[in-house]
Amino acid sequence: MTPAMTPARRLMVLKPSAMIGLFLVAGWLLVAALAPWLAPFDPLTSLTPLASPGTHAPGGGIFWLGTDLLGRDILSRVIYGARPVVGLSVLATSTAYLVGVSAGLAAGYFRGATDAILSFLASVVLSFPVLVLYIVVIVALGASYANVVLAVTFGSAPAIFRIVRAIALDIAGRDYVAASQAQGERAHRILIQDILPNAAPPLLVDFCLRIGYSAITIGALGFLGLGLPPPTPDWGGMVAEGRAMALAFPHLVIFPCLAISSLVVGLSLLADGLNAEGRRG
Amino acid sequence: MAEPILRVEHLSIALPAGGDRAHAVEDVSLTVHRGEIVCVVGESGSGKSMLAGAVMGAIPGDLARTAGRIRLGEIDLTALSEPELRQIRGNRVAMIPQEPMAALNPVVRVGRQIEEVFALHTKLSAQERSIRALGLLADMHLSDPERIARSYPSQLSGGQCQRVVIAMALAMEPDLLIADEPTTALDVTTQAQILKLIRDLRETHGHGILFITHDVGVVAEIADRVLVMRRGQLVEAGEARQVLTAPTHPYTRELMAAAPSMTPPPHRPVVGEHALVARGLTKIYGARQALGGVDLEIRRGETLAVVGESGSGKSTLARILVRVIAASAGEARVAGVDMLALKGDALREARCAVQMVFQDPFGSLNPRRRVGDMIVRAGVLAGAKPAEARARAEELLELVGLSKAAFHRRPAAFSGGQRQRIGIARALAANPDLLIADESVSALDVSVQAQILDLLRDLQDRLGLAILFITHDLRVAAQMGHRIAVMQHGVVVETGPAAEVLTRPAHPYTQALLAAAPGRELGTATVVG
Amino acid sequence: MRETLADLARRLGGLALTMLVVSFLVFLTLEFNVEGVAVKVLGQFSTPDQRQAWLSENGYLDPFAIRYLRWLLDFVRGHWGTSTYYHEDILKLILPRLGASAILAGGGLLVMIPMSLILGVAAGAKEGSALDRSISLVSIITTSIPEFATAVFLSAVFVIGLGWLPGVSTMAAGLSLRELILPVSVLALASTGYIARMTRASMAEVMAQPYIRMARLKGASPARIILAHALRNALITPVTVIMLQIPWILSGVIVVEVFFAYRGFGTLLYQASLNADVYLVEACAMVSVLTVVVSQTIADLIYVRLDPRLSPGGGRHS
Repeated sequence: MTPAMTPARRLMVLKPSAMIGLFLVAGWLLVAALAPWLAPFDPLTSLTPLASPGTHAPGGGIFWLGTDLLGRDILSRVIYGARPVVGLSVLATSTAYLVGVSAGLAAGYFRGATDAILSFLASVVLSFPVLVLYIVVIVALGASYANVVLAVTFGSAPAIFRIVRAIALDIAGRDYVAASQAQGERAHRILIQDILPNAAPPLLVDFCLRIGYSAITIGALGFLGLGLPPPTPDWGGMVAEGRAMALAFPHLVIFPCLAISSLVVGLSLLADGLNAEGRRG
Repeated sequence: MAEPILRVEHLSIALPAGGDRAHAVEDVSLTVHRGEIVCVVGESGSGKSMLAGAVMGAIPGDLARTAGRIRLGEIDLTALSEPELRQIRGNRVAMIPQEPMAALNPVVRVGRQIEEVFALHTKLSAQERSIRALGLLADMHLSDPERIARSYPSQLSGGQCQRVVIAMALAMEPDLLIADEPTTALDVTTQAQILKLIRDLRETHGHGILFITHDVGVVAEIADRVLVMRRGQLVEAGEARQVLTAPTHPYTRELMAAAPSMTPPPHRPVVGEHALVARGLTKIYGARQALGGVDLEIRRGETLAVVGESGSGKSTLARILVRVIAASAGEARVAGVDMLALKGDALREARCAVQMVFQDPFGSLNPRRRVGDMIVRAGVLAGAKPAEARARAEELLELVGLSKAAFHRRPAAFSGGQRQRIGIARALAANPDLLIADESVSALDVSVQAQILDLLRDLQDRLGLAILFITHDLRVAAQMGHRIAVMQHGVVVETGPAAEVLTRPAHPYTQALLAAAPGRELGTATVVG
Repeated sequence: MRETLADLARRLGGLALTMLVVSFLVFLTLEFNVEGVAVKVLGQFSTPDQRQAWLSENGYLDPFAIRYLRWLLDFVRGHWGTSTYYHEDILKLILPRLGASAILAGGGLLVMIPMSLILGVAAGAKEGSALDRSISLVSIITTSIPEFATAVFLSAVFVIGLGWLPGVSTMAAGLSLRELILPVSVLALASTGYIARMTRASMAEVMAQPYIRMARLKGASPARIILAHALRNALITPVTVIMLQIPWILSGVIVVEVFFAYRGFGTLLYQASLNADVYLVEACAMVSVLTVVVSQTIADLIYVRLDPRLSPGGGRHS
């Protein structure tokens, strides 16, 4: 990898599986952004209950993926459902990164008491199974967009912290950091100019993966009925609503499951490609 | 002369297309006789390790032999299948590897690892295997072989591991031993013991030995015949004495000339004022004393070479002086100011007075920053205005022998030697009173090493720098130091003018170091020649 | 031996400290707001007077620190209170559910461990081979699909399509292996890929070590190199990864139990959370954290035992 390679150029040389990943991720981002223009029906309007996929709608148009128990078009709900899942998982992962990266850099570079305290706190939070942690937070605070973001941030930040800390610890021991220290560079500049840029490639990979984890978690919360209040279309919630009748009407649950699976598979393939690329370069 | 035990004929190994050359090894022929030590000398990338792998029938990586034959006695190794080769490896030809610790499986006791050779190549019972392994360890002059056999590699020293690995190689009494840089990872005193062991084994067992090394000093110690490799080709071959004293190929002459001599060049005593006065420098880690009260003085324009083996505390000393680690006690006055007593902003402002050039050319430059930015920033931190610092950075790049184009490149675009030049320019940008070079040439090939040493001497003459030059290599110390300080176990055991320390060592440890330095006669020969 | 005991004592101390902090966090989150507790226990339609009376009756008007210490002491002594939803003693409620979940998780581990280790070793033994690439790709895909989606897909094939397996696992007629197959498969699929990828990375790293080349130069065959030299080193990491995977498996257990209506610990916590059964949520949270912390302590101990470089006194002599 020559240093002159731009990020766009980097994406061009990804292996085929990663290109598929990129395609899936970009596709869902577009769907989320353009939902009102893409969705054939309003996702909240009741039309024909439990129509099979391909049924003609009474007012014209086709229910490509059928309708749910309340007669809402499933394709439109899947399209609109991309918004909370994509939006919240990106937002929650970003806030978790903000917390995890700053704490991890501080712990890895300053070590000593800062590290001991932060590492202990991280290990405490990490000793909760993720879903149990979210359940506790949401039972205490109630289900809402903000609380889902808060819960995911709280749950992911410690894992990010651990990764960043390990990388920072490694880089802080390199001679170029010693050289900066010997020149009288201030700590915050060393963190920004020497440590962060060299930690970035593995963190980018982790960021991609972690958006996927967050999407899985948000989906699982929706499935458990602890996510977003209904009638907001969200993929996990659609599975929860349709589960009771899934034996007779599998289309109620299959499509939202395909949606979330393809999003997370896309993110994972992309992360894997970036990782291979990082090691090669 | 008897039939050779190893005969390599016109061997070529191709490299993948698109590299800087077509062959890793190109048309190489050589022979090794019973009881003979043949040294293959070359710098990194010369193809010497590839040659060693080929003789074992195990070329590293995905490369393959494209031409030539390798005969071991009557057997044509190049005609054998992989299962047939397996019966030869470790049996009739055995390898002594470069990094003994890494070559031993960390989770298997070393006795078991020696016994494995018997399990692979004989039908001995478990008990017989164990007895034979203990016998081999005893032959290696390891005290308490039972304890060694029960140990895991991590519980042994580097020298002990090397003896275990040699025992393993000798298990089946092979016709041919291949030693691939077997002492490079070891301290000089341990190296001397291992070299003696290999020589003794040759006397008693009469193996043929193909000895791969980059170190001309080691060659002088051990070789009967010498082959010089460069970029995959054999450029010179001959009797050791002849190649070492009267080389014919220009590259060999260059290689010999670049090997630093043990005789220091004549110096006028340096009389300038003191750039550094350090007293009682101490560093304690838990129960271990890494540095036990070191006193040093260096004058302007003077180089003090600090010599010591690994664990002697010499790098700790360097890192304390640049304040990258904190001293437990002591003071270090640079231009009258005690650097160790400073804190906060006062420390940050004073730091430019002491700068360091690091050992690892690949780890000491941030791969994400442009070379020019690093050097300019060093100047700005030392108090220069950005425009001044920029002009100075361009000047410095030229001073260390790099083109102006280097300014906008990142470290990946440079070779090891060039990176060390960048490191030197960065250190000089701070206008230091004291420059510390911590093993700054030890990762470089000998020809590049000579250029960097010349550069440092030249810069000292021009800028009147005081240099603290830390090295494990007595020869380099002899060439660089006006004075030499010898360190052992965290204390300076002897210090004095270079010529004095090297010719009339007072301390027993200095004497041992000098005795262990490989190829002492070589240095004098080079100076005379 | 002495060092080993001291090491053990240190780890147990750390475990106790973690549990202490966790208990404080759980109590703080769920019981700091006493009004909220009263609403959750007495229901939405209780009057303010009723709540006030209940609060003073149950000591909720005492300072927070006192309440926490009292709760902690009760908890340590096994007095976990009564579930407001099930109206039963919580300890008695939890124990059989834990047993049921242990069967599920144990079944998952039993499938996942051999499968992931074999796949990982096969992939890592020859890095970059076609086998490696296909195992890696399948692993990435299976780990990326959420458990509830895997459950839907498997049900679509085996319940709706083929009709081979039951769609729910209520175990109404006692323990049924047929009913266990789907939930165990979903659990195993979610983690097998991850552990296989870890094993692969570890194996590939080991295969590049000088001692593997040395074994080859001693004349060892590829099979012997893998079995006698690579495996022991390569499995150190995955064995601990499996233990560290337990919190994820527990999360998965909740989803899988809810999906298949399996009456285990996960559905209990799920019901508790839906019904704001504060005391039951507290107890479940504490139990699941304890499981995680204990498994991680065991992982540390195994790690030290497997790698002689880390055992007390295993460092260099000099």
